[in-house]
Amino acid sequence: MKPTTASARTRQLGNYICSSCSHQLRRQRRGYASVTQSIKPSIYDVVCVGGGPAGLSLLAALRSSPATANLKVALVESQDLSKTRDFLLPPNQFSNRCSSLTPSSVRFLDTIGAWKHVKKERVQGYTEMQVWDGISGARIEFDWHAEKEAGRGERPIAFMNENLNLTSGLLKRIDELGGVEIMDRERVENIGFGEESEEVDLRMWPVVELNGGRRLAARLLVGADGANSPVRAFSGIESRGWDYERHGVVATLETEGSGWGGDASKTAYQRFLPTGPVAMLPLPGNYSTLVWSTTPALAAHLKTLSPKDFIAMVNAAFRLSPVDLAYMHTQASGQADEFSWRAQHTEFDMQRIPQKAVGVQEGSIASFPLKLRHADTYIGERVALVGDAAHTIHPLAGQGLNQGQGDVESLVKTIEFAVTHGQDIGVEMSLEQYNVERYAANNMLLGVCDKLHKLYTVESGPLVGLRSIGLRAINSLGPLKAFLMAQAAGTGVKIL
Amino acid sequence: MAAPLRPTSLRNLNLLLRTAPRFVQNQFRAQSTSSVNPEEVSHFNALASTWWDPHGSSRLLHLMNPLRHNFIRGCHASQPKPGPTSNLRYLDIGCGGGIFAESAARLPSTGSVVAIDPSPEVLAVAKAHARRDPGLQGKLTYLNTSIEGLPQPESVEEQYDVLSLFEVIEHITHPADFLDTCAPFVKPGGWIVMSTIARSWTSWLTTKVVAEDIARIVPRGTHDWEKYINEEELRGYFLRERGWNSPRVMGVVYIPGLGWKEVAGSEKVGNYFFGIRKDEV
Repeated sequence: MKPTTASARTRQLGNYICSSCSHQLRRQRRGYASVTQSIKPSIYDVVCVGGGPAGLSLLAALRSSPATANLKVALVESQDLSKTRDFLLPPNQFSNRCSSLTPSSVRFLDTIGAWKHVKKERVQGYTEMQVWDGISGARIEFDWHAEKEAGRGERPIAFMNENLNLTSGLLKRIDELGGVEIMDRERVENIGFGEESEEVDLRMWPVVELNGGRRLAARLLVGADGANSPVRAFSGIESRGWDYERHGVVATLETEGSGWGGDASKTAYQRFLPTGPVAMLPLPGNYSTLVWSTTPALAAHLKTLSPKDFIAMVNAAFRLSPVDLAYMHTQASGQADEFSWRAQHTEFDMQRIPQKAVGVQEGSIASFPLKLRHADTYIGERVALVGDAAHTIHPLAGQGLNQGQGDVESLVKTIEFAVTHGQDIGVEMSLEQYNVERYAANNMLLGVCDKLHKLYTVESGPLVGLRSIGLRAINSLGPLKAFLMAQAAGTGVKIL
Repeated sequence: MAAPLRPTSLRNLNLLLRTAPRFVQNQFRAQSTSSVNPEEVSHFNALASTWWDPHGSSRLLHLMNPLRHNFIRGCHASQPKPGPTSNLRYLDIGCGGGIFAESAARLPSTGSVVAIDPSPEVLAVAKAHARRDPGLQGKLTYLNTSIEGLPQPESVEEQYDVLSLFEVIEHITHPADFLDTCAPFVKPGGWIVMSTIARSWTSWLTTKVVAEDIARIVPRGTHDWEKYINEEELRGYFLRERGWNSPRVMGVVYIPGLGWKEVAGSEKVGNYFFGIRKDEV
């Protein structure tokens, strides 16, 4: 190794990277000079930061594809993954973080051999969707039964699944395949660039430094590290968007029965309230998961209520008028009595709203802020972003996790092509196809969900009438509805 | 849009109108001892710095590279008996910045790649770039030489499974002599694979007028249309020389927005791949 000083090396780097980056580097080098200079980085083909659904399915897919199985891959995750691996809850308890998996995500998970490791008794498919306007009552019904009569067979629109059930299944698949160096309970301390030695020039390679002192040089660094992605920050890719001033309140609910159609035919319900959509999505048996988007103040109020009053608010949200609901939000307590009195004076079609909630799982009520973010690009030199690191979407269409799976499928296909054609999988040129395929598709979904959110937060005026006409019109147009359903299920024709 | 036509474009047009086959044959052989044209070397020296810029003047070559591997795979798959699937030896002549040489060295089926180019500047770029990938160490060797400067193989082990001439033959003044020199480097049962451009109205228009003069996606003076060779001329050469069999051709077209696509029959008018197999003794 050439005896270069830290400052000399930084000067050399100055030729390749912009001055602001080299300033940063100089700072980093100063900080780590005593440690890093003695430890040579280990070289990997793919270093994935983040062991969530996107990161884990990326690794499972890379290991299960013959073309990419020879790549040297590593996973860095700050959490203890053994807890995910050992995920086990009794049949009457469900985690409050659930996602709707589209058939296309399930097909991908099956292809990479992970779906068989997901506990099916905890997964609930649904074949019907009821979506209606909280103010006008205009409704759109998505129902695969009509499809079935048309001879296309009954296919679920999507599958409700606990995120932990998925990540646990993915980890089991990764363990089964072997060959992934898993570094969990390891924090990323810093991401910088490599050095030049006599034999190799790693000055363009990202080097991930872990708090344990390990250094990993990555041919391709994948950021599956969530909305505040350190990998994205390292690559200098901007992420733009806005906050909705809304929080998503989640909870695991127990209902009075297993749904109007029983276990065989479950329905997802979503009502657009002026404060945001409230959704009740079926889990196995008498259980459902709640996702209620509302203002931060109302979300905070919901979390202060007793279980009895919380349940009453949930039932009211699907039944009473927005005015009634607004009143009940002003009460400090006593919503249960208020609801039973007001419900007597409200008419509703029982079959088209969810069964009454009768219980809420202890400790399952939580909330998180909703936002829209989209990175300017998903790729950089030796960097690719997947999942929430690339985009954060409003949860109203349940597409967040599925977008991440779509990203991973496309990225793995791009890497496979690069490997079989001798390309360096890290260079931006090899990754172009991934960005082309996913950026436009995700951008469209982000836009559609954003517009839906905005459309339905309008409480009065001509827009309410227009959107109701729109919903009723769509509802009466079979082919258009089939098209929309196919889009929701991820099986439709690609619009973009 | 109408950029002024350069004198060389006009001269080529003149040649095309005369279309004298005699001219081509005269060009095919000569007395000179080196295949390397000094003007060509200095042209590519000047391009060296932008060779690996994915948005630079070599972008079309970068985009074409996967097709080269597809074509070689097609050649191997066409053999009556499957050839070796590991430890393949490649000789890449006129490697330039190493776009193909690096990619060939990365394939798991490759044992080694020797890549040569007469331009020292270009080869320096190739060597510096290869150092950025530790995976290439020990698999890829660059030599600053012409084919004439490479020692003749003395045994089958020293010969190559694949000898590649990508976008090279159209830059050679006397292609027949050059191919004579290449032949001994190929193993019995091995392949010469190349890509070049047909000499046609279309290629004159696309490579000289559009690519170099109007759209300027290829640096001016990169191509010398008079030196373009047609597929039947290559096939004729090899079959006349004897010792070669199974000629294969694949015409490709660059479609903006879609990239390079295989188009049957397009070898008659524009870019094409040509492969031919050496007889197994």
